[in-house]
Amino acid sequence: MAPSLLHPPSHLSPAAALQLSQQAPSVLQSSPATVSSAPLISLFSTSESPDLWLKYENLLLSCLRTGDEHAAHQCLDRLVARFGEDNERVQALHGLVKEADANNTGALEIVLKQYDAILAENDTNIPVTKRRIALLRSMGRIPEAVASLIQLLDFSPTDPEAWSELADLYLSQGMYPQAIFALEEVLLMAPNAWNMHARLGEVQYMAASATGATDAASQKYLAEALKRFSRSVELCDDYLRGYYGLKLVTTKLIKDPPKPAVKATDLDDFAVPTTSTIEKLNELATEKLSEIVRRYTAKERQWHGYDEAEIAAARELLSQDASQTER
Amino acid sequence: MAQIPVQTIHRDPQLFYWILAPITVVMVLTGILRHYATVMMATAPKKMDQKTMREQRSLMHGINLRNNYHVLSKRSFNVRRDALTAAFESGAYLKNPDQRGQAPPNPLSDPSAMDGMMGMMKNQMAMIIPNTLIMSWINAFFSGYVIMKLPFPLTIKFKSMLQAGVATRDMDPRWMSSISWYFLCIFGLQSVFNFILGSDNAASQMAAQMNQMGAQGTPQMFGPGVDPDKQFQAEAENLAVIEHYSVLDDVETRLLEGIRA
Repeated sequence: MAPSLLHPPSHLSPAAALQLSQQAPSVLQSSPATVSSAPLISLFSTSESPDLWLKYENLLLSCLRTGDEHAAHQCLDRLVARFGEDNERVQALHGLVKEADANNTGALEIVLKQYDAILAENDTNIPVTKRRIALLRSMGRIPEAVASLIQLLDFSPTDPEAWSELADLYLSQGMYPQAIFALEEVLLMAPNAWNMHARLGEVQYMAASATGATDAASQKYLAEALKRFSRSVELCDDYLRGYYGLKLVTTKLIKDPPKPAVKATDLDDFAVPTTSTIEKLNELATEKLSEIVRRYTAKERQWHGYDEAEIAAARELLSQDASQTER
Repeated sequence: MAQIPVQTIHRDPQLFYWILAPITVVMVLTGILRHYATVMMATAPKKMDQKTMREQRSLMHGINLRNNYHVLSKRSFNVRRDALTAAFESGAYLKNPDQRGQAPPNPLSDPSAMDGMMGMMKNQMAMIIPNTLIMSWINAFFSGYVIMKLPFPLTIKFKSMLQAGVATRDMDPRWMSSISWYFLCIFGLQSVFNFILGSDNAASQMAAQMNQMGAQGTPQMFGPGVDPDKQFQAEAENLAVIEHYSVLDDVETRLLEGIRA
């Protein structure tokens, strides 16, 4: 799928982002520099569409990423001309451009001060609050970033983006229970997001294999991780990460099966499924993973949407498995 | 059998150029004018302060938990339920915790509620004033005679609609007076406005009327006159009675069966 300017470009590969930002001159040229809102002119010229402004915003992000500062400034100027300096989203984009222009910590500090000034005036400016948190994080001030995120989530607890950022921050600090809590909040907002189910499974798997986890706790995490991965592939048939995680968890559970002594935990937690079910799930995951790898390698139609690195990891996992069975 | 003779009335063809066309043009122009007047009179939505936002979104948070609790394990759900019901019942998320238990302020005296009312008033005015003016203009100049014959037959019931202002008992309802043409324009120009102004224009009165109907039908969630404390209490009760199940129960058996099937 060719990258489109109508979607946020944050997940794109570097090559795709470069391709987008190379479109910048043509996009900037093909659309008028200003759109007038005067009645008479708008009757005769093409009307503006929300798509156009979305395009500018995404183009701005791609250009900043690939270092095309000139085009980025042009996009920003047009957005400012249309929405004014005081628009919350424009303020955040403006700050982003300034962050990109800054070439030392001192300049970043100045941008941070500006964010603080904006927020002192208007404390519900969510785009700028998020920018400030991202800046704090990229400056390595994790505790401050976490504190501001929690403050943001206190008055806006229905923001999945903020919750997942918080989960990521906690995860980077190895605070698994907190990360799991935050991810569960994301799932409450988006109950059918299979990638979030798989992500939660991954974090639970990490928590289970972390050093210092007791047997009972690690088993609880593994049982839930298994269920999360199962739910994720139940929601999305060909989700590589889901099957990968499912295989990892089941292999681990087969290798050291749960001790019956710890099995009698209280009813609030999920019980580990029976050994035969685990083995069947393991088979299923292996089968599906090899199918995905095979079809991707054969370049079959509709099977080329996977990430190269993820396919490579799956292949490695499968080959590990194969070498074990040979022995 | 005696045939009813076809009524013929000789009309000046100039009627068409001097009455029908002007009325139509005036109607289109007023529609456009009304659109831009509404756009200019519209006030920007009022900014929410942090406390209001906190109050509303916390309630949404509770509702979200109630709707999607099945993604959680029982333990995590219980933790959340205990925390949220305790906070909801103690009023921790309220905007003004000291005003708990007092009667909600009268929506008519609340300045923030007045804004919404004023907006509605303005819209109403923008619709009523031009309509009244044009109607009296047509009545003053063009009433008392028919101006055109519709190309299709109509039953007698339409007489009062089409021949307003022409008091002739036996005339075929196909004959139409200018005031009737005006009414036809009001209801028929919708697509013309859509073409000129885009589909979400403010010129069409039909859309505006539909909006009012809709607003009356569904009660406002965070509107003026709603006591947030009561909402929180109700939500706490809703959360308390949930019998938890998880979508993760037996997911692996479901998955294995689904794949085999």
